[in-house]
Amino acid sequence: MRSSTKKRRDPMALFAVLQTTFLLALLPLRTYQSEVLSEPLPLTPESLNVSINSTKQCLHLQWTVHNPDYHQEFKMVFQIQISRFKASNVIWLENYSTTVKRNQVLHWSWESELPLECAIHFVRMRTMVDDARIPAPRLWSNWSSWEKADAQNSLGDHPLYVFPKDKLVEEGSNVTVCYISMNHQDNISCYLEDVLIYGRQLDQNVWAFEFKNVSFIRKTGTNFYCKGQGDPEGVVLLVSKVLEEPKNFSCETQDLKTLTCTWDPGNDTGLIQLPSYTLFESFSGKKTLCKHRNRCDWQVTQDSQEMYNFTLVAENYFRKRSVSILFNLIHGVHPMAPYSLFPKSVSATNATVTWKVYSIGSSSALLCQLQLLGEGKVIQQHNISVRVNGEYLLSELKPDTEYMARVRCAYADHFWKWSELISQNFTTAEAAPSEAPDVWRDVTFVSGHPTVTLFWKPLSKVHANGKILFYNVVVENLDEPSSLKVLSVPAPANSTKVTLNQSSYQICVTAHNSVGPSPASTVAISGHPGNENVEEGRMNGTEDGFPMSWKPQSRNATGYVVEWCDSPQHLPCVLRWKNLGPTNTDTVISSGAFRPGVRYNFRIYEISTKRMAHLLEKKAGYLKELAPSYNPKVNMSNLTSHSFTLSWKDYPTESQTGFIQGYYVYLKSKTGEKCHRGFEKTFLTDNSVCCKYTIDNPDQKTFVVKDLQPESAYEFLVTPYTSAGEGPLDDFRKVTTPDEYSHILIHIILPMVFFVFVIMIICYLKSQWLKDKCYPDIPDPYKSSVLSLIKFKENPHITIMNVNDCVPDAIEVVNKPEGSKMQFVGTRKSPTETKGTKPAYLDLLPTEKNYSGPGPCICFENFTYNQAASDLGYCGHFPVTPQAPHCQLGPLTSPEHLLKTLEQSYMNSLGEIPAGEANLNYVSQLASPMSGDRESPPTNPPEPALCSEYKMQMAIPLGLASPARSENSSLSSTALLDPREHCH
Amino acid sequence: MSLVNDINTLVICQVLSALCLLHLIIFTITAPSFGSPHSHLSLSLAQLQDQGRPFSNPRFSSPTLSLETLPSTDMPFEIWHGLEDGVRLSLTQEAFWSFSQHFRIAMVDQHILHHGDSIVEDQLWEARLKAKGLAGNLAAIMTSLGLPSPAANTPLGPVPLGDSAYRKKCRGYVIIRDYSFWTDRAVTFLGELKAKYSQ
Repeated sequence: MRSSTKKRRDPMALFAVLQTTFLLALLPLRTYQSEVLSEPLPLTPESLNVSINSTKQCLHLQWTVHNPDYHQEFKMVFQIQISRFKASNVIWLENYSTTVKRNQVLHWSWESELPLECAIHFVRMRTMVDDARIPAPRLWSNWSSWEKADAQNSLGDHPLYVFPKDKLVEEGSNVTVCYISMNHQDNISCYLEDVLIYGRQLDQNVWAFEFKNVSFIRKTGTNFYCKGQGDPEGVVLLVSKVLEEPKNFSCETQDLKTLTCTWDPGNDTGLIQLPSYTLFESFSGKKTLCKHRNRCDWQVTQDSQEMYNFTLVAENYFRKRSVSILFNLIHGVHPMAPYSLFPKSVSATNATVTWKVYSIGSSSALLCQLQLLGEGKVIQQHNISVRVNGEYLLSELKPDTEYMARVRCAYADHFWKWSELISQNFTTAEAAPSEAPDVWRDVTFVSGHPTVTLFWKPLSKVHANGKILFYNVVVENLDEPSSLKVLSVPAPANSTKVTLNQSSYQICVTAHNSVGPSPASTVAISGHPGNENVEEGRMNGTEDGFPMSWKPQSRNATGYVVEWCDSPQHLPCVLRWKNLGPTNTDTVISSGAFRPGVRYNFRIYEISTKRMAHLLEKKAGYLKELAPSYNPKVNMSNLTSHSFTLSWKDYPTESQTGFIQGYYVYLKSKTGEKCHRGFEKTFLTDNSVCCKYTIDNPDQKTFVVKDLQPESAYEFLVTPYTSAGEGPLDDFRKVTTPDEYSHILIHIILPMVFFVFVIMIICYLKSQWLKDKCYPDIPDPYKSSVLSLIKFKENPHITIMNVNDCVPDAIEVVNKPEGSKMQFVGTRKSPTETKGTKPAYLDLLPTEKNYSGPGPCICFENFTYNQAASDLGYCGHFPVTPQAPHCQLGPLTSPEHLLKTLEQSYMNSLGEIPAGEANLNYVSQLASPMSGDRESPPTNPPEPALCSEYKMQMAIPLGLASPARSENSSLSSTALLDPREHCH
Repeated sequence: MSLVNDINTLVICQVLSALCLLHLIIFTITAPSFGSPHSHLSLSLAQLQDQGRPFSNPRFSSPTLSLETLPSTDMPFEIWHGLEDGVRLSLTQEAFWSFSQHFRIAMVDQHILHHGDSIVEDQLWEARLKAKGLAGNLAAIMTSLGLPSPAANTPLGPVPLGDSAYRKKCRGYVIIRDYSFWTDRAVTFLGELKAKYSQ
């Protein structure tokens, strides 16, 4: 039992030993552990202090962790809670991990999106050891007590506050603005740049306004303000543009002593707080704060540092930007521009230029590039190695030419960049003209003597080699070699006139500048006119000019000259010429003065070995033919009922804008009839139909338009045409053909009119004779044609009453006072004036019934003449009272019915004439008041009264009337008219 | 009698000089140049345009905004008109001296607010010189009239409304506004003086 017990005790003892050993082995560890964790860790933070940074809107927390037992560092986690307005309103929870030393004061900041002044904040925290050396479980400590952060305590007594003040905001970020109404106003309006903004209420008197993605408006910031009852209150949000990364960052040195780094800073952020720029060099560890926002200088040290690693850091309130470059000092040498560049020893063809450079180091050379520019183009370029002074001889220059020399240099050891250029102008010296002037002549013969106008072209700058001062003209008479005439024509004249005699001459022209003369140009003049009778050819111009060719006349020609006028339409002619070599038989004449539609005349001369010019050919052409610009003035003639002739004889074809190939005759008829033979129907631009006749011959300048209709209206137009078209169709003339007989009428009427006119002239010239013959003042009855008529028709025995028989003409019986004269003598009284005389009147003949005069009248009608009184509209007017005793009327005319008629008419008249108005007018056959001898004193002429009319007096044979008183008595008017006179 | 005339002539000359300066001030303050807000002819417009709305709004008016350091604008015109010439001269002289001081503060404010744009600062500097010159002219008039010389002008103390950018803008607005008021009042007053001593 004991043994078994003992055996049983042995394993037990071993186990106990092992256990003891294990425990002994663990004892040190345990001892160590007991050193660290044997005491409970003081996890609760102490001395928690909360402060407010209003500018940054941050809460700053500060606390300590008291751990008196351990000296090692521990990693710990601090859990921080932030509440707003009240402790229970937790708005932020964050674990802050850090390594904590013993008695270390810890800091932590929290930026609030809401301005801290607008709300009370509460902060508390707890801790936990988060160190791998501490086995789990890791437990949070207890929360600290709430710490209060109240920024409103510092506010004054204003009724309204707006926060945050002067907040710096980066463009594109979000910002919250709030206001606090201290007296709990509820009628507060808030505006962002005058725009009403609505916010959200955070507390009883706190409102917040959140702005997202704010933008830059102006440097002075964005205004936010609120208006209540008092003054408006507001804040300015200072919005900054985003800081850009510097661009094009590079460094270089001009002298291997100072490095200059430059960059493009980008847009201005717009804030007063400018970003700072710092240059940091990593190899040397040096840095410098740059004074400029786009450039920074770096002093090269003397330690032969060749490589530089620069980092440029741009930094502002919100962010940092950096850019780096690796820079080899030797590879970034940008020398300064050379200086003192001067030309020296400038001749006509050579010049030496010198310049200086700023040395780089003691052993370094510069590679300089010398450029020579003429007329703005680089014509020479040379590279020269220079240490201090540079010099180079420029050759192959042109005389009297302005050049520009310019120099730039680069670092010879390693080319990187040319320096700035410097330049200097210089002009080479003059030389004698290198070429003879191009001379031509125009020869005119005045009275058989040639007058030569010499023309020359100014030498080109290349050949003038300086300023041409004058031209020498040497005229040599070849027939008299001793005769030499020298003219000096000052420049810039390009012509001179020389009058010669009929000898042959050689004229030499040289151009002179300040250095000397040019080679001579020679022309020879013959004393006699050459052959001008050369037929003119035609040619067409092209875009390049006038191509022309000719046939040489002699094999010894030394050249050819083509001459023309640039503006032939303007006088005087601007003579142009072109010299051609002896091998040329064609050329193209071009000129900037050539215009389309202008006729140019060219003359081609052949130059002999003696420099004599012979006219070879004449040519005329247009650069481009145009349609005629105007139409000829057309005369129309020979107008008949069926045709007319058109002619335009003096039409100047040379002034036209193209070669006239012919003419079109347009004919328009009102009736629109068919076109006549030879005409073709065509449409004008106004769509009117027209007939057109084409005249192919430009020399034909007359045209007969035939087959016309009589009495028809036509319009015609004659227009020339060239290869480019016809002339203007806007000047139609009208013509109307006469009828077929009009010409006959003209042939008859015109002579008749002429004849009548001649008769009238004759009558006028022979009026007195005619009057005497045809209507004398006292007609001669014997000469009356009536007489012959009566004789012929009635009675061959009829006779004419003789004037001498008219003694008893005074047939009226007038009871007039004594002394009164005969009523008709020398006076012309109206009936009213004679009213009181109461004469006794003789009844003669009744007046005509249809008499329309002022009163009833009785007129005698003398068929032998009816001029005088009747023409004047009045007759002898004699009042006749009806109460007068009636006399028996004798026969008045040979035809009995005439007397009867008269008597009857008279009786009727009496019956019709009212009492007191009836008159008896009697016109004496004595001198008419209108007779031609009015000037003679009146010898009792009976003056007719108005409306009396002496119609006719007619001699009646006694046998037919009344018995004659005596045999000798001829038929007298008295006897004829009033036989009653004898009754008294 | 001759001495009185001499004094009157001197006063007239000085008043005319002051009036010329005032007209320059008026031209500088009030003549707007819409095409060029930075024209030197439009101090107020340029200054306010750069501040943004509401200050640049032509209809903006905040009569309650004031600076206690500025000369008072509360005195009704009737009372002002009833004051003796000497008193009015003294008040006007003090006012323009005060404005010359305030313009300096406004310049500093603008420098802070408007970095990099010296045009408004230049205009304020010009206005300050003119206000200072007018104050000197007024002092000379007072001396010529035998009035007590104005008290030695003391430097301006702390001026309110400068604790934030917004209030700086308000301060500039009030200075310009009140300066315009005093300029108008001075023109009228000096016109009266001119008429009075021209007789």
